[in-house]
Amino acid sequence: MASFTPYAYIQCPCVDSVPGSRSPDGASTPTSHSSPEDDERDFDPRSPRSNYSLYPIEYMLYCEDCHTVRCERCVTEEVVTLYCPSCLFEVGNSSVKTEGNRCTRSCFQCPICIGPLSVQSLESTPAAPEPSLLSADHATATGPAGPWILCCSYCNWNSSEIGVKFDKPQGIFAQLSKLRSGYDNHHSRYTSSGDGDTYPTKRDADGEPGSTKARFASLKSFYQTQMSNENPNSGLGSTMDYGYGSPGALSRIMSLYSGNTLSSAKPKSKPTIMREADTTKEGLFPAKLDDTSVMSGLRSAGYDGTATRAQVNVQVEEGARFATDLWPIPYVLRTKRTKRCPSCRHILSKPEAKVSNTRWRMRLIAGNYIPSITIKPLIPVGAPGGPTTHLLTPVKPVQYLLTFKNPIFETIKVTLATPAVTPGRFASKVTLLCPQFQIGANSDDYNLDEVLKDRDKDPQRKRSDTTGQQVEAGKEWDSGRNWVSVVVEVVPSSIQIEPKPTILKKLGEVDDLGPLREDEDIVEIPIFVHLEWEASADQVTGKDREDKETKEKKELAYWCALGIGRISPE
Amino acid sequence: MSRKPAGVRTEYIETETGNKVARKANLVGTQHIMLGGKTVIMADAMIRGDLARTAPTSSSSSSSGTAPGSNTAVFIGRYCFLSKGCCLRPRDASTRARHADDTPSAFTYMPLRLGDHVFVGESAIVQAAAIGSHVHVGKNVVIGEFAIIKDFVRVLDDTVIPANMVIPSFTVVAGQPARIVGEVPEGGHEAFELRELYRTVGNNPQPASV
Repeated sequence: MASFTPYAYIQCPCVDSVPGSRSPDGASTPTSHSSPEDDERDFDPRSPRSNYSLYPIEYMLYCEDCHTVRCERCVTEEVVTLYCPSCLFEVGNSSVKTEGNRCTRSCFQCPICIGPLSVQSLESTPAAPEPSLLSADHATATGPAGPWILCCSYCNWNSSEIGVKFDKPQGIFAQLSKLRSGYDNHHSRYTSSGDGDTYPTKRDADGEPGSTKARFASLKSFYQTQMSNENPNSGLGSTMDYGYGSPGALSRIMSLYSGNTLSSAKPKSKPTIMREADTTKEGLFPAKLDDTSVMSGLRSAGYDGTATRAQVNVQVEEGARFATDLWPIPYVLRTKRTKRCPSCRHILSKPEAKVSNTRWRMRLIAGNYIPSITIKPLIPVGAPGGPTTHLLTPVKPVQYLLTFKNPIFETIKVTLATPAVTPGRFASKVTLLCPQFQIGANSDDYNLDEVLKDRDKDPQRKRSDTTGQQVEAGKEWDSGRNWVSVVVEVVPSSIQIEPKPTILKKLGEVDDLGPLREDEDIVEIPIFVHLEWEASADQVTGKDREDKETKEKKELAYWCALGIGRISPE
Repeated sequence: MSRKPAGVRTEYIETETGNKVARKANLVGTQHIMLGGKTVIMADAMIRGDLARTAPTSSSSSSSGTAPGSNTAVFIGRYCFLSKGCCLRPRDASTRARHADDTPSAFTYMPLRLGDHVFVGESAIVQAAAIGSHVHVGKNVVIGEFAIIKDFVRVLDDTVIPANMVIPSFTVVAGQPARIVGEVPEGGHEAFELRELYRTVGNNPQPASV
């Protein structure tokens, strides 16, 4: 609350295209309805939809073919590489399909605090309060030996708390999944070695059902044998195919609906109805209606023994209720992705495929095409004559400098427009003192940049010295080679919640006297930015007639939301 | 590190390679600290160069990566910025010996490496094994032992990175313990550049450009 950094967000044009694309068949209604009043329509940065279309310029890409900005929501993405964020090993596409989107090596996260887990040896000496130190000494003396456990260095959780120990320090994922499914099938201890008392006994009494994976596997095998028994000819049992399209299955379904007519040709007079799974071995999961063990567990472990919602959500399998039900979480794989323009399918950004390589083959970022906007108060906080706090005083005019910096090598003509008052309940008055200006071209030459910067410096100094200088309407405040600063004046409204005078009310308008909502005290100005520049014509034609110097007029327009500051409550 | 004798007692010592080291910086064991050049070390920043690997007799032949300066405790790349009150501290390898994969070794310190354009915020404590290039470490961050931070990573303020954590490239991390909260956007790479910041400090600081 105390500090507020001004921000400038750009609206992606995809926000308008969404309703149209949603109903492509009966399309004309939403688009034709909106197009005539397009010019009049103001953009409200506070509307709930805007949240999804406003981005800082760093997050935006630019399509050179469509000449427009693209946000991360509207681009289409393609996975280039999958890798584990912990061991940074690349994972092949095929193994992701079979093994799932988690690291199958030894990378795990702590189920309690999500810190990384490391494999440590648990000496045969009983688990002392500080097993790590003890085992360290032992390790130096005798060399590390099993059994092994997963330890969290952040919260000191280790897997022996849930009775999980490993025989080898490698391939933890495979060992863990074996332990997990092995436990599920036989209701035995997780680990073969070691003493039995660490394992919580209440689970044994419970007869807890297996993991989802194991249950699915047994259900699948059960129903496959059922189906192959039913229709031995169709050969469903051996293949993965569920065979709904096969003639055997079709005849079975038909016979279910139409009685005996179709199957009358068969020796059997009536098809045996398929049996459902009715034992746990077949994958049946009886609903646990007896909560006594849960209640007793709750009574003994207390609130601290239960799993928090956040902990349960990051678990691989659902259903954990106590902290003892929480398993180490294998790291979810991360991706490197190519981004494409949604309309023309051109690649906007493409990373190098290798995990260790941080270069990009292609990166069309909006910051290289459209001017960046920075906001700062005209008179800095704490300066003589300036404001003393970061909060804006209601009804007291305050000036801000908007600095536009041109990244392209052409001169840009900028036209700004803004509503006179900000939308929302607390309407602050906004005046752009210089809504039209030109920004000089950027240049590649680093040395030139240095030289010109020195030249630029002098007027800049002069400006900052004379704080009493009058702000002139229609004139740029300051400018450099490829940047221009203009002044915007804001009269913040009071954020007292009081009914509107009746004379100002429109017909049927109802006062909204609710309490101050989140961030409602921020002055956020919608600004419409219109850019116009002359670019050399498209590359194909440009090469043909280079002598003619064909110039093409380009324009681009978009809405921005500028966050200026918070209004002080009094 | 060669120091230029200055007549007037200035705030910073500026070396031939462009390092700007505040006189009030707390550098211990400077012979074990390697600066790549154009690095800013502000007042009260502490670098524990004395925590270098002690005896090359023990097992340095197997573990030392580079031949020159095998005794160096802290490597710092170009255009790094160490803010006020931060601390770079190599970790002793004895804590590593408790890890299963490590062969036991004598009591020694693992070197700490920083890439280029690494910003370390105020009062941050860095005990990492390696920090890549273009990394922003916020205020009051604690980076645990042997954590590895790859390139283009932003560590937000007050984050605690647990020991042994690996943070992949283009990641934003926050929280205690640190968790990945986002990706660095494509357009955000230039924000890691510290050349501009380098110019704005020193004995004759340049004003920041617009």
